Formats: sequence, structure tokens, C-alpha cells
Amino acid sequence: MLKYVARRILQMIPVFFGVTVILFILRAPGVLPGDPIEMLTGDRVISEVTYNQLVQKHGLDQPLYVQYVTYMKNLFKGDLGLSYKKNRSVTEIFVEKYPYTLRLALAAILIEMIVGLSVGIISAVKRYSFWDVAVTLSTSILVSLPVFWLGMLMQVLFGIYFKRWGLPYLPISGMGNPPDLAHLIMPAITLASVSTAYVARIMRSQMIDVSQQDYIRTAEAKGLKGGAVVRKHALKNALIPVVTFIGIDLGAMLAGAILTETVFNWPGIGYEIYLAITARDWPIVTGGVVIVVIAYMIINLLVDVSYAFLDPRIRYGGEAA
Amino acid sequence: MRGRTLLRHAATEGGESESRCLVVSFPKERGCELSNRFRSIIAVVLAVAMLATFAALGGCTTSEEKADEGGEGAVKGGTLSQFIVEPFAITPTLAYESEGIYIVSAMFDSLVEYDPITSELQPAAAESWSPNEDASVWTFNLRQGAKFHNGREVKAEDFKYAWERMLDPAMASEISYHLLAVKGATEMLEGQATELEGVKALDDYTLEVTLAEPYPDFELVVGHPCLGPLPKEAVDADPKFDENLIGNGPFKMAEPWVHDQYVKLVRFDDYYGDEPYVDGLEFKIFKDAETAFLEFEAGNLDFTEVPSGRLADVTAKYGEAPDGYTSNPGEQVLVGPELGIYYANINNTKAPFDNPKVREAINLAINRQAISDALFDGSRKPADSISPEGILGYEAGMWPQSRYDVEAAKAALADAGYPDGEGFPTIKLLFNTGSYHDQVWQLVQADLKAIGIESELDSAEWAVYKDKLKKKEFDIARYGWVYDYPIMENALYALFYSESADNQSYYVSEEFDAQVLKARSTLDLQERLAGMREADKILGKDMPVAPIMFYSHFDLTSDRVNDFVYSPMNIPDYVHCWISESTE
Repeated sequence: MLKYVARRILQMIPVFFGVTVILFILRAPGVLPGDPIEMLTGDRVISEVTYNQLVQKHGLDQPLYVQYVTYMKNLFKGDLGLSYKKNRSVTEIFVEKYPYTLRLALAAILIEMIVGLSVGIISAVKRYSFWDVAVTLSTSILVSLPVFWLGMLMQVLFGIYFKRWGLPYLPISGMGNPPDLAHLIMPAITLASVSTAYVARIMRSQMIDVSQQDYIRTAEAKGLKGGAVVRKHALKNALIPVVTFIGIDLGAMLAGAILTETVFNWPGIGYEIYLAITARDWPIVTGGVVIVVIAYMIINLLVDVSYAFLDPRIRYGGEAA
Repeated sequence: MRGRTLLRHAATEGGESESRCLVVSFPKERGCELSNRFRSIIAVVLAVAMLATFAALGGCTTSEEKADEGGEGAVKGGTLSQFIVEPFAITPTLAYESEGIYIVSAMFDSLVEYDPITSELQPAAAESWSPNEDASVWTFNLRQGAKFHNGREVKAEDFKYAWERMLDPAMASEISYHLLAVKGATEMLEGQATELEGVKALDDYTLEVTLAEPYPDFELVVGHPCLGPLPKEAVDADPKFDENLIGNGPFKMAEPWVHDQYVKLVRFDDYYGDEPYVDGLEFKIFKDAETAFLEFEAGNLDFTEVPSGRLADVTAKYGEAPDGYTSNPGEQVLVGPELGIYYANINNTKAPFDNPKVREAINLAINRQAISDALFDGSRKPADSISPEGILGYEAGMWPQSRYDVEAAKAALADAGYPDGEGFPTIKLLFNTGSYHDQVWQLVQADLKAIGIESELDSAEWAVYKDKLKKKEFDIARYGWVYDYPIMENALYALFYSESADNQSYYVSEEFDAQVLKARSTLDLQERLAGMREADKILGKDMPVAPIMFYSHFDLTSDRVNDFVYSPMNIPDYVHCWISESTE
């Protein structure tokens, strides 16, 4: 197992370099239109002197490979450079914002796991019951709802109307100062909504699949109670695809959630990176992608490792893997 | 995304200080020798603003009276919260968009300031000032006893330091151009000098500014909020000074800027000018106006933008401010014109647009009112020239062909040799995606088609748009301009002088160049403004671009905000507004 993990970590190195090289190629003149420095001043034209000052300040007068080497050297010191557009250290921006993204992502994943799994199990166990139909219907609706629309709907209902009606209401946007749970509820539900529906549906179909297996029939035949059959035999086997999905989803959430962040004014990294791309603010884009890639690889590794616990047939390490 | 932040929003207004009042009147104390000249010209400008006076007469008294008598129920206290998007910078050295300038203007006072409604000059950090005989050397007499937020007195040196910091190549400030008129500024910017030669602190309270050449409008330039003083010792002591500022204005920072969340200011009790009614200001940072508006509706925001397409129902609900600039409960929606213009930038170097008759036809073809009606519920005024109403020296009808007349447009196009558009190439209309530009240009496309000009929409993201403009790869492009100072020269010279970097229509006219340069250095204000009008008329004859509409406010305040003035230069008067006791 350890050997497997070590190998996977080693595999991350070429991925990491590949990603950074590609990101630097994007900066090369002619690859993508738009000069990041020209874009800084809006409609007004930037003067030549100021332009040159800014080019020098950001080291853009150096050849691209020199910029890359410098960037890599600084990266290992934890310095992700200076944003063109924000005049701030990129490391500082991500150190400040990543915990916010993490907070939202973990809350959403928690909802996704608790609600998605239990709803999926219930509808599989009580197949064709009222609850099953209700779940199937509501998950279909949830999957097809645009996230921002759902978010705004909740804001208007729980934020504005509940307040007018004198009911307990939720804050509409932001994280709270200091950050609190009330501010987290609506963004987390919004971010989790589509995935929760997917998890419920995958869980349901997996459970149904598994329940038709021989070993379930055996378990039932030897007189195990329904609950025990589900817990001990069905659930574990049905979980693998769900865990894969949740893992991928968490990886995606760790890259930020542009729509949810925008609607709820959540200060996460998704919107930050999106803005940086439109502004060609390469230090933020590169820094952000590097962080996201690392997070994604770690999550993937954890997911793969977790398979071994869920399914004894999967063993890592040695030659067998 | 606010459309507005895409503009270089170096829009200006003086910092907050004394004698700001809703009543349009001349301040009792005039420190400036030029003020007499101003007084006369201001009378003309005021004609428009008088409407505001009538509207405001009922409830407005001068600020001093208000302070004495408690005014119309004006009460102290409360925090005014305002929607902004994350600013690039909130330090006067670097702030260039409206977001940053809101904050700078609340925290810093420049030497002079503009009246919020008339743009008339008023003393601020300087009590009085005067030019020499050819307006090449200016002497500013600073107010004694005015303090920085750290308690130290503001000295002439502090202005010199702040200006030098803006010109420091290491700062690479995008707004260093404000100071280019000062002698030695270019040398400093280019790194050939470490000191700003033209600025001298003769003593603690006397600042002498020598210009590279005579520039009578300079006194208006120094009203820009970003040209206030900085305390060197505080800048040196705090590497994060630019996010935790110390200024000389009516509000100081409550805590350092919390990025993407808020900037909090509180009243500065040792401020020399009128004491603000509100205890503090909170600039709440949002990613978009829609979410901000939901917070507004929930009662958590006092000043925000009207979401696009909702002016009619928002106005029906909250009431419109009579003068467009001053809001009170029940009169909360602000749609007054701003000093800024949206126009079709025509590539004058490219055939067939090098023919003035073609440009005239394009000007006559555009139905400006229809654009304003379709997109802004008619709140934006169709542009009848490049200079907006409210600018010093404004006169209507400077560009006679900037109007909608299809028949005249067809005739002009025929005159140019393209009857019914025959032989006219298919042209491209370039604009940056997002905001409302797509819809504007679809309407322009239809207007052009009506006179026989076929066109394609060339919608590009910001980066590509900027690139194409720079490389002159466009026929007609969207362009916007927001005034830095309330003077005609600020657009005429910047946009159309042949050697100006901002001349993106690449219009060249010796006649215009000579006239604008002459007007620029004319000492007498009246004559100078007349000279600028002459220059404007030359443009009106050549039609280098097609003006479409003047920008206007599209904002509203909550029902607890009173006497709130949002100037045509996009600076709110935070000192004289007040908040009613909460009704909840």
C-alpha cells in the first residue's frame, strides 16, 4: 500500500510540471490575444512610460523560459508572484481565500453525502413506494435546475420574504463577520444541490443492482434481517461508484464554484480565477491552477486508496496493482 | 460585472470638506483670486442646477445652519453602507476606478474640491490659491491646524511627498498622468530624477507648483481626489499602508481593507471641515449588482445600483430624485447625467471613414433615443456632441449632425459617393462582450442598414477588443470616456489632439490642434471656454466619432438615507447626508 501511495505521489511530479509548462505556453505572445498590461486601464490608453514600468515590475520583459525558471524557483519558496490586476501577492490571495473555498466545499460535500446517500438508500430499499417516486421526481427537477436560479430563489424566499413575514430568516450573502453557520447554509445547499441529486440516483441504482446479486440472496436466505443485509452487504458494495463520484465532485469544488460564489458573494477562489482568466492575470491563473491541481491529485489518491477499504478484492502494492 | 468598472474610471471630485450644501450658492468665503471669473461663468452653468435648487428649496438649508439648528431633523449616527465591487486599489497613489475613488474621496482631501452639483471650485486642504501672470506657477496656501488621521498636522511637504510617490517608477501608478503638467514630472516618471522639481514647500503652509508650461486649468486638476497628501512616516512604517491608509479627510479607516468583503471607515473627529452626520461608512464588496440589490431589498444596504432593465419598477417602488443627484426617503432613485460619454469610435485612418461625409452619414443614422429607451428606460440622454451638459462652458448643439435623421443620413451617404449604400463595403462593429454593449450595437447595426450600410457585429472579449483598437483593426468600435476633471479640455484634448495617446479614432486636424492648444493656454476662463467651444465646433464639422449617449446615474439609496448627493462626477457627499432612526 505504502509503495502504491509513494508511486502515485511520484507520478504527480510530471503532471505538475506538465501543467505549469502548458500554463506558461498560454502566456507566450500570439497564443492568446490580449496584453495583460494594456488591459489594466480600461478604456483609457496606458502611457508608454507607465506601460514599460509595469512590464518591468512584473518581469514580463524577460524571455518566457527565464520567467518560467524564476517562477519555479519562487514557487518552491512559496511565492506565487504578484497579481497584475490586483497589485497583491498571489500567495497572500490564496492563503486568505482557500480556507473559504474549503469551508464551502466541505459543507457541500457533507450535505451531499448525508442527504444523497440516505435518500438514495431509502428510495432503493422502498422501491416504487411513494418516497421512491418523490425522490426520483425531485432529483430530476434538482438536476435540471440552474444553480444560480435555485440560489436566488432561496435568497428571495429565506432572506427577504421570511424576514418580511417575521419568520426566522437567513443572511443573503457573504460569510458573516466572523464567519458563521447561518451564512453557510444557503450557499452550501446550492452548491450541493445538483450533486446531491446525482449521488441519490447513483446510490439508488447501485443498491438495486447489488440487491439482485447472489450474495444478497444468500444473506437473506441465511435469515439476516433487512437492515443488516443493507448495512453489511449491500451498502459497502454499492458505495464504490458513489465514492468515485463524490471524490471527483469534491475535486471540482476545491477549484471553486463560480456561480455559487457569485450569487452568494462568497469570497472563494473560483470567481477569482475566472476573473483572472478574463483579465489575463497570469500569476493568479497559474497559482490557482497549481493549487487546484495539487488538491485534485490528492483527492484522487485518497479516493483510490479508499477503494481498498470498501472492496477487499482491490489490493494495491506489490506487482498485482 | 459593473459596466462602469470596465471604463477607466478616473472620474473625480474633490474630497469632502466645508461649505458643501445642497443649495446652489456661492461660498461666503472665497480664497481664490480666480473666483470672480468663476462666479460669472458659473452663473451660466448654474442655469441647469437651478432646477435642483427649486427642488431642494423646501428641505435644504446651508450646512452650517443645519449643524446649528439640527436642520430638517438631521440626526447623527448610523453607518451608511454602499455596494462596490472589489477595487483595484484604495490608495490615492494608485486608485483609478470609481470604486477606489469613492473610498479615497472619503478619506482624503485634495487642495481644492469641486462642488458636488455645479463642479465649481471650492477650497479644501488649501484655503486660497493663486497663479502667476501666465499660470505657469501656482501658489497654494494650506489651511493651518488640519490633521492627518494619526494626529499630525498636514504640511506642504506631505503633498510633495504624495505626488512624488505617484510618479515613482517603482509604484508604476496608472494615474501618474494627472501630474504630467508639473515641471519635472516626466523626468521623475522616467527615472531620471528622484525629486519632483516643480513642487516646492516654501514653508509648512505654502506649496508652490511650477508647471512645464502655462496651464490655466491646473487648479481644476488638483481637485482630483487622488492628489491629496500622504504622511511619509506612516507610509514608511507600514508595508501595508496602501490597505490601511492614513489620510486627512472626514473619514478614517476602522480596520484594514478586508479583500472581497468590505472596507470600513469611521468618522474622523479631528477633521477641520463640517463634521459628518454618519458614524461611519461601510463599503460592502459584491461580485455583481444583482446580489447587492437583494441585500438592498432585505434592508442591508443603503446605496446600490439599479439592476439593469428594472428602472421602471424600481422607480415606481422607491420614487425618483427630482434633480437626479439628491436622494431622500421616497425620492430614492438617482438618474442624473454624469460627466461621461458612450460613443461610436470611427477609424479615421481607414477608407471610407476618412471621408467626413461618410462619418456624417453614420452620425445621422443612429437613433440614439431608441437605444436609451430600449436599454435604460430612456434615462440616458442622447448625445448631441462630445461634451456633456454640466461641464464648464457647455453649450447645446455643438455638433449639429449628431442627431437622428434618416433622410439626411442617406443624402450625406449619397454625397460621399455611395447612394443607398451602393459600393459601400460591409463594415465591422467592434465592441467588448458583456454589459449591455451587445444590444446597443445590434440597434446601431439596424440603423446603419436603414441607410444602406451593411455591417457585421464583431463581439470580442475585453483582451481582444483592446488589442484590435491598438492595432487599428476596426471600422467602428464602442468607446467610452469618463471625465477626470469637469473641463471640456479633458475630452477634447485627450481624445482628439493628434498626438494624444487616447486619440483612438486617429483623427488628425491641424486646424483643431492649433485651436485646442491655443484655448488650453488662454488665461481668462471665459475666453478659454469660448476657445474650447471653437475647438468643439471644428470637431462638430469633422465628426471624427459618433456620440451616442451621455452616461447617467443608475443608482438608488435606501429609505433611511437623507440629503444624499451623488455628483455628476460619481462622488457621493458622505459628509452632509444623514440616516433616519431605524423604523424597524
